[in-house]
Amino acid sequence: MKTVLSVEQLGKSFKDKQIIKNISFDVRKGEIMVILGPNGAGKSTTIRNIMGIMYPDEGTITFQNHENIPRHKIGYLPEERGLYKNVKVMDILLYLAELKDYPLKKAKERALAYLKKFDLEGKENVSIEELSKGMGQKVQFIASIIHEPELLILDEPFSGLDPVSQELFKNEIRNLAENGTAILLSSHQMNLVEEMCDRLFMIHRGQKIIYGNMDDVKTQYANFKCTIRGKNDHVELERIPNVQRVEQDNDTSILYLSKDVQATNWLKNLPDSLVVQELSIDRISLHEIFIDIATDKNLLQEEGVAHA
Amino acid sequence: MRNTLKVAKWEIKRNMKNKSFIISLFLTPALMLFFFFMPSIFGDSDKEDTEATNVFVNDELNVFSSLQETVEQSGLNWEMQPTDLTESEIKDKIDSSENTAYIFLNDKALANGVIPVYTSEDIDSLFTSEVNVLTAPIRSLQMEQLNLSDEQLTAISKGLKFKATTADDSAVSDGKSGADQETEEDSMRRIVPGIFAGIILIMIVLTGMNIFQSASQEKKDKIAEIILSSLTPAELMQGKILGYFVLGLTQGIVLLVVALPVAIWKTDIPIFEYLLVPQTILLVAVAILGYLLFASIFVGIGATLSDITTAGNFQGMLLMLPFLPFIFIGPVLNDPSGFLAQLGSYIPFTSPGVLLLRLSMLDEWPWIEIVIALVILIVSVWLCMKLAGKIFKTGILMYGKNASPKEIWKWIRA
Repeated sequence: MKTVLSVEQLGKSFKDKQIIKNISFDVRKGEIMVILGPNGAGKSTTIRNIMGIMYPDEGTITFQNHENIPRHKIGYLPEERGLYKNVKVMDILLYLAELKDYPLKKAKERALAYLKKFDLEGKENVSIEELSKGMGQKVQFIASIIHEPELLILDEPFSGLDPVSQELFKNEIRNLAENGTAILLSSHQMNLVEEMCDRLFMIHRGQKIIYGNMDDVKTQYANFKCTIRGKNDHVELERIPNVQRVEQDNDTSILYLSKDVQATNWLKNLPDSLVVQELSIDRISLHEIFIDIATDKNLLQEEGVAHA
Repeated sequence: MRNTLKVAKWEIKRNMKNKSFIISLFLTPALMLFFFFMPSIFGDSDKEDTEATNVFVNDELNVFSSLQETVEQSGLNWEMQPTDLTESEIKDKIDSSENTAYIFLNDKALANGVIPVYTSEDIDSLFTSEVNVLTAPIRSLQMEQLNLSDEQLTAISKGLKFKATTADDSAVSDGKSGADQETEEDSMRRIVPGIFAGIILIMIVLTGMNIFQSASQEKKDKIAEIILSSLTPAELMQGKILGYFVLGLTQGIVLLVVALPVAIWKTDIPIFEYLLVPQTILLVAVAILGYLLFASIFVGIGATLSDITTAGNFQGMLLMLPFLPFIFIGPVLNDPSGFLAQLGSYIPFTSPGVLLLRLSMLDEWPWIEIVIALVILIVSVWLCMKLAGKIFKTGILMYGKNASPKEIWKWIRA
């Protein structure tokens, strides 16, 4: 697949604090690439550097082999977003399309089509301030794709949406990708993007944690875990073979198993002394990996304040 | 540049569609005209309300007709009638009447030089001074009775007065006596373009205050980042400055379209003739430079504030800058080429206002001062634009808090 955007060795500091360091990834045509990370990990900073709203201290960003990013080929939905309050929906959509040098007549048609798609039919002459927050967000989304961008960058597109609208957005994003748009989106809601993204870049404290294909990441990181209800001794549980880590909360213990464990074999070898009221075994979801990373459980324990 | 124009167009369109802007567009000239003509409206109605003063003249000297003529000429609101009543008879009558006066003209009065006037209790407060206009015709009658020649008459009736001439004046005063009328016209010739440019300056600076609103609103609505994904901060800023300039000009033009015909109708000044002179260009240029200076300051501060109500002392003081020239109005009016007037033209924030005022008042334009002031102004405009650009770039994307002066200083140095 053709690479649309590539980011190499990106670095940015504010004052003496390094916000992002050594960020490298690329976005390809027709794929959904997700930047994942907890709040303050550096997602928005990375995106703002790509958009040219900030300038990186180091590293390069290239768009289809251009050093200068042609802005009218990119659609952008920022994290901090809003619209002029006292103007009509259609007016602002056309203004934003005009800023992207998109022909007005076509923009109008597309705007009407998308308003219909997002259940906002007939709202084109309504003032923005009369819209609910969710409706406003839909208008912003339309604004970011109205000019048929080749690369669409969405910073936290799902935040503040109800589940129905989230589903609507997800479908539309998937649709755009299938039609060849390269999509880069950031999120801190792993469960939301897990099913839709092709590749992911997980970032924490401004640095790469995981980068790769979704399926690869899953097989690499999504080990088995065993949840046991019953009063058991922490030390005893840790002595069971292939157990990497044990988490205990009252009578419930979660045993994280090592990578190449064979579930059936491992179950057979459980000691008889174990108190089991309930037992379940399943794979760790990406959501849990994400929480793990975000809460520094299996990372290098760094001293210092977390970037909350 | 194309993006700048797009932003400008958008700002214009957005405001033109805004009801409150349209209302203020027409309300401003209406208010100005109202305050301008308020005194004359009330003054007129005052006059119509008052009744004419009844003046009865017991005329034994046969001058009634010439008296009547004099009164008419001076435009006094008198109702004059001849009467035969004697002094002793009118005592009762005057008690029962209002706003009435009796004048007794006879040889005795003429000889004494004191003309008895009896007035009712209630009489126009100005009557005692108004009655003095009658001295002229009576005096001429007095002089006629002395059988003087016409020449003697003119010599006496001319009266005497002292005329002071200082050494300075005497050199130029020759042949200047008839030029009084001309200098007045001359000063109008300068004042009219000055007022014109002043109106433009005030209008665009007032509208320019909206730039501040607009920039801070952009920040509050959080749309800046969406807009900035399509253009550069500099383009956005310039677009705003240009857009509001056009809006301010529109306001100025609306005001002039309304005010000019009224001014031409109410006054006899040939305004168009005075307006279409080369000086107007310079004055308007000064006004535009003044606008650019304040617009860049406003757009810069606007980007540092998310809400005008949270403006700190620092920003509040900057917002007051356009009103600084008012400090200089007194001194400049006193002495348009004095030290304070010169100082005012060299301080960039006051120079547009002070320059306009001075150039409207001075006979001879001090070209060297004007050039220095213009250079200072242009350099400061350029500097302010640069600084505003830097502040705008960072400030517009800073959400949630206002920038402190310290932070702003850092952005400027960055």
